[in-house]
Amino acid sequence: MQEQSTIRLFKRGPSAEVRLAVFVVLAIALLITDARSTLLEPARQAISVVLYPFQRAAMAPGDLANYLSSWTDSAALVRSEKEALQRQRIELAQLSTHAAQLSAENEQLRRLLQVADRVSQPSVAVQVFYEPPNAFSRHLIFDKGSAHGIRAGMPVIDDGGVVGQIVRVTPYTSEAALITDDKVSVPVQVLRNGLRLITFGGVGASRVEARYLTSDIDLEVGDVLVTSGIGGLFPAGLPVARVESVEHDSSTGFAVAVGTPLSYPERYRHFLVLLVPEPVLNPDNEGLHNEQ
Amino acid sequence: MSNKPERSNLPVKRSSSLSSLQPIDTSPFKNTSGPWIVWGSIFLTWLVSLLPWRQWSPAPDILLLTLAFWILHEPRRVSLVWAFSLGILIDVHDAHLFGGQALAYVLAAYGVMVLSRRLLLFEPVVQLMHLIPVFIVANAIPVVIQAWISGEWVGWTWVLSAVLTAMLWPLADFLLFLPHRRLDDADDGSS
Repeated sequence: MQEQSTIRLFKRGPSAEVRLAVFVVLAIALLITDARSTLLEPARQAISVVLYPFQRAAMAPGDLANYLSSWTDSAALVRSEKEALQRQRIELAQLSTHAAQLSAENEQLRRLLQVADRVSQPSVAVQVFYEPPNAFSRHLIFDKGSAHGIRAGMPVIDDGGVVGQIVRVTPYTSEAALITDDKVSVPVQVLRNGLRLITFGGVGASRVEARYLTSDIDLEVGDVLVTSGIGGLFPAGLPVARVESVEHDSSTGFAVAVGTPLSYPERYRHFLVLLVPEPVLNPDNEGLHNEQ
Repeated sequence: MSNKPERSNLPVKRSSSLSSLQPIDTSPFKNTSGPWIVWGSIFLTWLVSLLPWRQWSPAPDILLLTLAFWILHEPRRVSLVWAFSLGILIDVHDAHLFGGQALAYVLAAYGVMVLSRRLLLFEPVVQLMHLIPVFIVANAIPVVIQAWISGEWVGWTWVLSAVLTAMLWPLADFLLFLPHRRLDDADDGSS
């Protein structure tokens, strides 16, 4: 046996060190290329298409168990959901009369200003496929991709408001960065006084912040931030966050506002991806990928 | 008829009786593990790695464990190429940068290859102690590179993950050698 192992040593091709060096250099080159450019996107898409059936297969038992358990306590679920819906209906009835009145007024004002009515956005409902275990970013993978019309850059919303933005699409899956991810910035407006700001993610676990505000800014704790529609990507008026604290830093002279998102990316499984038309998306596509 | 003939004598001595044939080496024959158990275990741990339980960041990397195990015991079947390719697959699943996990797997595989002669002398528990630093270093280098690229530090949970991975080594040794041991036992029984 000892003889065999010595013979094997000589029979092998390049030595382990050489192969190690090749793979290490290759891996580091891939890391840097992937971080700096979009060259590897086609390869990633191809691999993820191959992976998809295996991911589905691996998750199938869990999905089945979920389905069965939800089926068994569906009665309780339906009852509680019914109560919640009834409560919501009463609340919404008030709101809707108010909204109808406002939209009529708005329409009239728009006509007066000769501004074209904003077309309501088409959208695709998606479900969370899995949450990638990635310490560097806060992303979600959805179960629909470019085959369903989703493109990188499209906003993702839920019933609470803006959840995030699609950053990567493969034929059957898509990846969204949450608004709390440091790569996503959203143009917003303060609902109370119309002040325009931009929120960024990346502070703490689930917070967004608006930076470099002048120290005399009119921003209070409890203010609701909604999308301003500037940039065209996010339709105007979607709730984004509620201001939690406004900190004045006397050394720099700027203030920082920190807010909690109003959407619940961690709570539900279904979200809507707004199908923003291509011309709006294209200029931003480059920027998005470069940030990756 | 001597019980223990010299090796050089064997071909010279001619005897009609089968009982004169003595084994030249009485130590049990070491079976190699079959391709099914090697590739099956790697495929299974890879599938399990696609499940969401790894969101708990100190979760042990069982794919790395299986790979390292077979690189130690079946170096002819499992090589650096496989470590690299499986790493790329995990990178795509985790939506990581390309090559991060691949680098960790290749480094760990190389560490095991370098230490293999020494490791094979010891029991699994002693092997485990050798493997803790190997896994920590193999995970540290990609973490540092990614921290440098993304400009933020992810914390230290990956160290715990590497240690937990190594802690599972005796279990892997027990489970992955189960069919192998059964064969060995059968051989012992027949002799």
